[in-house]
Amino acid sequence: MIFLFIGLPILAAAVLPLIGKISRKFLPDLVSNAVFLFLLVLAVTSGRQMISQGPILKQLNWLGEPVSIQVAVDGFSLFMLMVISLLTLCVGLFSINYMDHYGSKSIYYALLLMMMAGMNGLVLVTDLFSVYLFLEVAAIASYSLVAYGLEHDELEASFKYLMLSVIASAGILLSIAVIFGMTGNLGFAAVAESLRSLDAKFVVGFCAALFIMGFGLKAALVPFHAWLPDAHPSAPAPISAILSGLLIKVSGVYALTRIFFNVFGLTPALSQILMYLGAVSIVVAAFLALGQKDMKRMLAYSSISQVGYVVLGLGIGTPLGIAGGLFHLFNHAVAKGLLFLNSGSVQQSTGTRNLDEMGGLARRMPVTAATNLVGSLSISGVPPLGGFWSKLIIIMALVQADEWFLAVVAVLASVLTLWYYLLIQRKAFFGKLNERWKDVKEAPFWMTASTVILALLVIGIGIFFSTVITSWIQPASDVLAKGVHLLFASWGF
Amino acid sequence: MVLQIVLLSGLVVFSVLAILSKDILKSAISLAIASLLLGIIFFRMSAPYAGVFEISVVAGLITVLFILTIALTKAEGDVREAKLAKIVFPLFFVIFILIDVFVMKSLIQNIPALPETAERGTFGDVLWKQRTFDLVGQLAVILAGVFSVLALFRKRDKNE
Repeated sequence: MIFLFIGLPILAAAVLPLIGKISRKFLPDLVSNAVFLFLLVLAVTSGRQMISQGPILKQLNWLGEPVSIQVAVDGFSLFMLMVISLLTLCVGLFSINYMDHYGSKSIYYALLLMMMAGMNGLVLVTDLFSVYLFLEVAAIASYSLVAYGLEHDELEASFKYLMLSVIASAGILLSIAVIFGMTGNLGFAAVAESLRSLDAKFVVGFCAALFIMGFGLKAALVPFHAWLPDAHPSAPAPISAILSGLLIKVSGVYALTRIFFNVFGLTPALSQILMYLGAVSIVVAAFLALGQKDMKRMLAYSSISQVGYVVLGLGIGTPLGIAGGLFHLFNHAVAKGLLFLNSGSVQQSTGTRNLDEMGGLARRMPVTAATNLVGSLSISGVPPLGGFWSKLIIIMALVQADEWFLAVVAVLASVLTLWYYLLIQRKAFFGKLNERWKDVKEAPFWMTASTVILALLVIGIGIFFSTVITSWIQPASDVLAKGVHLLFASWGF
Repeated sequence: MVLQIVLLSGLVVFSVLAILSKDILKSAISLAIASLLLGIIFFRMSAPYAGVFEISVVAGLITVLFILTIALTKAEGDVREAKLAKIVFPLFFVIFILIDVFVMKSLIQNIPALPETAERGTFGDVLWKQRTFDLVGQLAVILAGVFSVLALFRKRDKNE
């Protein structure tokens, strides 16, 4: 069953160009959204049941013979699978209307499915080289999706993203090569085992530095963030939502956390580095966001800032901190996805992304304005929405760990976040209607439908936060908090 | 040892040429020579499969594709290059060499010798029994690449 998370998107992507020959729009829409929905249902229903007895290791059998394709599912990977399927489904629904004027829908969906396959694969694999491989699958699909509009800016942003991402991949690959040279193994469990018995602090430090640089670049942490403010706004809105909501978290934060918590083991020094990297990202990106006039660019800077919160929470390394970090990852994925989709609705209706040119759009686009407000307030940490609880947990964990300075930074930066989100809301939606927009209409059905679903989710997560935490976040953070020993003991090797 | 140093220096020189050369045809050929040298280094370090792939795919197939593409496309005037690149690349190159000389030696001495695990078993064994998952990944990479080409070279139909 679990292999479907990788196999089904690849299979669907492979047949989509053929389906595109039969029907240019309807069938590609239907097939890809059916795949997204199926995988979401699979993750939520049978996935939960599968790991109810603890983490499992699955071996693929081909014609009765075992082949060396193994995937592992634990609370953390299942949580990520759920987030990936959920957001991809909403983005898929939004694309039904939004991608109409871009052309070649079947190729667009094929790339989206490949990106999903890459992210799902990355979450499920059990060895370092496969991590690199699936990282590249997701990355290659994302380069071309960023450039999908084929205008000058988009191609330039995509090229910049490609170049910086290649540096990240090279660093990660070098680190994997050194680890392989040192231990003779690539599997997470075997590498963790060998590293414990080896006395090679210097080399391990070198590898850790390369991983922090590589995955930091993928996660766009300050100072490795230069590519994101160009790449994310240039992409079509649904792709911006996936990139900011998912890709930086899966290929950056997930991979970093998996390797540092379950393979290397989180040392106090490493924990400090992660916390300060997170804190610097939060503050620097929040100030940079304040000065932006382009709506999507402001959201892109905000993504850097919010990923900082996630890394800060995870970096604390206490069970509470990890839970807070993961919960914020979930909240940010949903809310930022929503905000980027809304920016797409606004751009499609008005043709501009410049905040100064907008104004009073709430009268013409009431649903978009309302959902945008919900998303903004959640990310800024206003109760009772989801973002409030996750930030609260992170700050509580910081106080518990006696990191008063960072706790104050996290609170103050949250105020900054509220400031620039209200700026968007005021400049774009509130106030007097700009004469230019008097004929603007609300976005089409599927676009509004997907933003409404996401907005309801944001509210739902906020109200039922304790259920969400006990059923999804807790199993995930348990895996990380227990670290390598218990996890691999329960895998039985 | 001398041969090894000659091969490695050749690899560096041709890689740099591939980046700095203004003529993309010369770049492609330099890249092919660099990967040919890398293939020979793989052979000498008893990794014949890696060597075969490096020479056949990178030096052979990809170079043919590059040269075909260059032959089929028209040059549209000179590409304006940022001045920064001329300063940044040599700077990074020097930094890289310095790190290589001062750090890598001690780093590599710290890595315990790898037990003879590399490329044990026949080629088929390694590919099908030990690293099957990589094939799935590679398939996905190729598919993603094909779709990228289809997406980036599609004709924009405004009426669609």
